[in-house]
This record gives sequence, structure tokens and C-alpha cells, in this order.
Amino acid sequence: MGDFQVLAKGIALAGCGIGAGCALIAGIGPGIGEGTAVSKALEAIGRQPECKSDVTSTMLLGCAVAETTGIYGFVTGLLLIFVAPGMFMNYLN
Amino acid sequence: MSKEFSVVGPKVYATIRTGIPVLGDLKITETLVVTWIVMLIITGLCIFLTRDLKMENISKRQAFAEMLVEMGNNFVRNNTGSTKFDKLIPFVSALFVTSVVSNLISLTGLRSPTADLSTEAAWALVVFTMITATKIKTNGFGGYLKGFTTPIAVMTPFNILSELATPVSMACRHFGNILSGVVIDGLIYWALGLASAALLGLIPGAVGDFLSKIPILGVGLPAITGVYFDWFSGCMQAFIFCMLTVMYIANAAEEG
Amino acid sequence: MGIKALLAVTAENQALVTVNFWTLILQICNLFIQVFLIKKFLFKPINNILEKRQNLADKAIKEAREAKEEADSLKDQYESSLTKAHSEAAQIVSDAQKEAQTKADALVQDAQKEAADIKARAAADIEQEKKKAINEAKDEIGGLAMDIAGKVVEKEINENDHKKLIEDFISKVGA
Repeated sequence: MGDFQVLAKGIALAGCGIGAGCALIAGIGPGIGEGTAVSKALEAIGRQPECKSDVTSTMLLGCAVAETTGIYGFVTGLLLIFVAPGMFMNYLN
Repeated sequence: MSKEFSVVGPKVYATIRTGIPVLGDLKITETLVVTWIVMLIITGLCIFLTRDLKMENISKRQAFAEMLVEMGNNFVRNNTGSTKFDKLIPFVSALFVTSVVSNLISLTGLRSPTADLSTEAAWALVVFTMITATKIKTNGFGGYLKGFTTPIAVMTPFNILSELATPVSMACRHFGNILSGVVIDGLIYWALGLASAALLGLIPGAVGDFLSKIPILGVGLPAITGVYFDWFSGCMQAFIFCMLTVMYIANAAEEG
Repeated sequence: MGIKALLAVTAENQALVTVNFWTLILQICNLFIQVFLIKKFLFKPINNILEKRQNLADKAIKEAREAKEEADSLKDQYESSLTKAHSEAAQIVSDAQKEAQTKADALVQDAQKEAADIKARAAADIEQEKKKAINEAKDEIGGLAMDIAGKVVEKEINENDHKKLIEDFISKVGA
């Protein structure tokens, strides 16, 4: 294995790692969004406690949908950590 | 217990060489096998629930089965606001129950079929086909194509993109949630295995060597995280997938 | 080209995130098979039984409604016949009363008439008797007077005195 190959592998791995870290920034968005959703839901429950079950179920549904972007980031991160390095290693060998 | 942590895809049990060049070999994977187990479980449950049905004096089992059917009916009718989508009820129910059982089967130690993107991609493809078919049936083929140029013709690529994003986002949402559960469960088991190996490795001699191979700390704690990642996430994602299916199809049936 | 060339048992792992074409196709088939199975084994029997029960309930409600209608009509009938009977009874009573009144009136009238007749007859009788008595008395008085006169005559009385006396007497008695 030549020096350049080692260097190339190192760069590829580093890129994958940095990319995975960046991808997980996507977690911020759903965090803020879900926080807002929950706070509004709590306000609604405080105003109308009799609607608690309705508000809670709708909120959970909304949160689960809002979480999607975070999940995309997570999947991307997973791909970069577990799938991409293998692909690069195969390519570089 | 291995020192290195890795998450791998489903096992490939057998490969049938089809000889078709582009499509590749037919691989019998863990996903397919577990899906068949899930189907057997669901069908067995259905047959068990609907055994000796009666008109009056119904058993608890029959009441439960009737409740399930009513729930399916109400789910579709409430979310579409009409009874003209009653043909969808068995499809949506099958989708929901397959999804839930697939998600929860990971509790038994099997690998969830939903932790394989192929499964969700298959479901999303079917749903996408149904949405498109409903749109074409409602507006005609010309109307369907014209729908892409609204509000202005420049928007056409974006409209096509958003149309294609529907199945992709549906599939990836479900898959990502289940996969995150798998990864986090795996991480927890791995970490607890390491911790118990380190703890029991303190015992000297052969006894310590033997005991350190058993991940004794792995009992109990994963059950707590499992409540969220398996139970909540699994049921929620199945629900959302079905909800979106019904909503998209109901929207597609509207003129315009 | 044996079975080994066609089928290979492997122990490898699929990639973590990938879409396998054949798995996709088989999963679509699985989904439709599942839809069919769930339709056949859950929805068909349950919907069947629900429909049957619905029909049963509809029938029971219909029967109940029919029974109620029948009862209502019977009730109406009874009520109308009862009203009729009431009015008939009232009619009979009033008829009887009227008749009784008429009869009583007639009786009273008859009685009054009879009484008046009797009274009139009695009055006539009395009158007659009175006349008779007076006549008898006159006769008797006449006879008595004759007797007395005979006796007076025996005692030499003139004819003039005699006649005058008799007439005077009679007129006095007749008054």
C-alpha cells in the first residue's frame, strides 16, 4: 500500500466523519420545532384542560412528522459512518 | 462480545442466481423470512379472532375482532371524511398491522423487516402508485399532467420533484425511525456488554473469564429504552405511514 | 449446472441502507398477499356478522314499531268506542229522563184533570143535593104547613086569614 493510498483513505475517512458530524446538525431543527409544538400544546392544555387527550395525540403526530428531517440527518450520518467508508475502501484498494 | 461496534444490514441466507443481468440475484434475506413470519402471525391471529363467530352473546375475542374492524373503518372514514374510500380499508389495515407487527417483532430478537429500506420502499411505491392512479382517475390523464404546471409553468420541475419526494420521504421517515431504534439498541447492548465484561473480568481465574462472556447487565435496561424506540416509535410510525397514505389518496381524489 | 449453481447458501450481510430490487418486488407481493389474507380472514367474516346483526336489529326495530302502531290503533279504537259508549249512555239516560218527565207530567196532568173533574162533579152533586134537600124541605114544610093549617082551620079561622098565613109562611120558608 503506497503512501498516497493511505493518505487518500485517511482523507476519505476524515471526510466521512466530518460529514456525519455535520449531518447530525439536522437534529437542531426538529429539536426547536418539537419544543415549540410541545410548548404550544401545553398552553392549549392549560387553556382548555378538557381537550387534553385530543391535543396530546395531535401533538405526538405532529412531533413525529416534524422529526422526519432529523431522522434524515441521522440516516445520512449512519450512511457516512457505516456504509460510505466501506465503499471508499473498496474503491481505493 | 466483540470489542468493535458495527451495525450491519440484514443477513442474506441464500442467493438464487436468476441470471438477469441488471436486476441481479434473488437474495433470500432476513427481511423476507421475518416478513413471512409476520404474515403468518397476522393471519393466524385473524383466523383465531374470527373463530366461531356468533350473532348474540359474543365472546371477548369476537368483540376484540369487531373492535379492530370498527377501528379500521373509523380511521379511514374519519380521515377522509366520507365513505367513498371504503375500498381502502383492508389495504390500510393490512399496511398498519404489518408495520406494527414488523416493528415490534424486534422485541423477540428477530430483525425487523422495516429496518430494511427495501420494505418501506415497496410500501411507499404501492402508495405512490395508488396516489397517482387516483389523481389520473379524478382529473383524467391530461388533467394530471396539467396539474404539474400549476401555478405557473416554471414550477414544473419543482412540482415533479415534490411529487417524487412524497414516497421517498414516507419510506425514509419510517425506515429512519426504525433503524435509529436498531442502532441505539445495538449501541446499548454493546456498551452494556463491554461494561459487564469489564465488571465480571475483575473476578480472577477461569470463572471470571467465563462470566465476563455473559452480558449480564444487558438484562433490564434496554427494556426501558425499548419503550420509546420500539413501542412508541414503532406504533407511531406505522400510524403516521397509514395516516399519510389515507390523506394523500383523499387529497388526490379532490378535483383541481 | 446443478442446483448449486442456481442456489447458494451464504452467510454474508446486506448493506445497511440499500434498496434490493428483488426484495422490493417480493415485499410488494407480500403486502398484497397480506391485504388479501386480512380481507379474507378478518374483514369478510366480521363485516358479514356485523351486517347480519344490523339486519337483526333493523328487523327488531321494525317489528317493535309495527307492534307499537298496532297498539296505537287498538288504543284509538278502544278510545273511540269508549267515547261512543259514553255518548250512547248519556243519550239513553237523557232519553229516559225525558220520557220519565213526560210520563210524570202526563200523570200529573191526568191527576189534576181527574181531581178537577171529581171536584166539579162533587160540586154538582152538592148543588143537586142541596136543591133536592131544599125541595124536600119545601115539600115537607108544605106538608107541615098543611098539617098546621088543618089544625089552625079546625079552630075557625077565616078563609082570608088562612090564605094569608100560608103564603106568608111559604115565602118566609122559601127565602
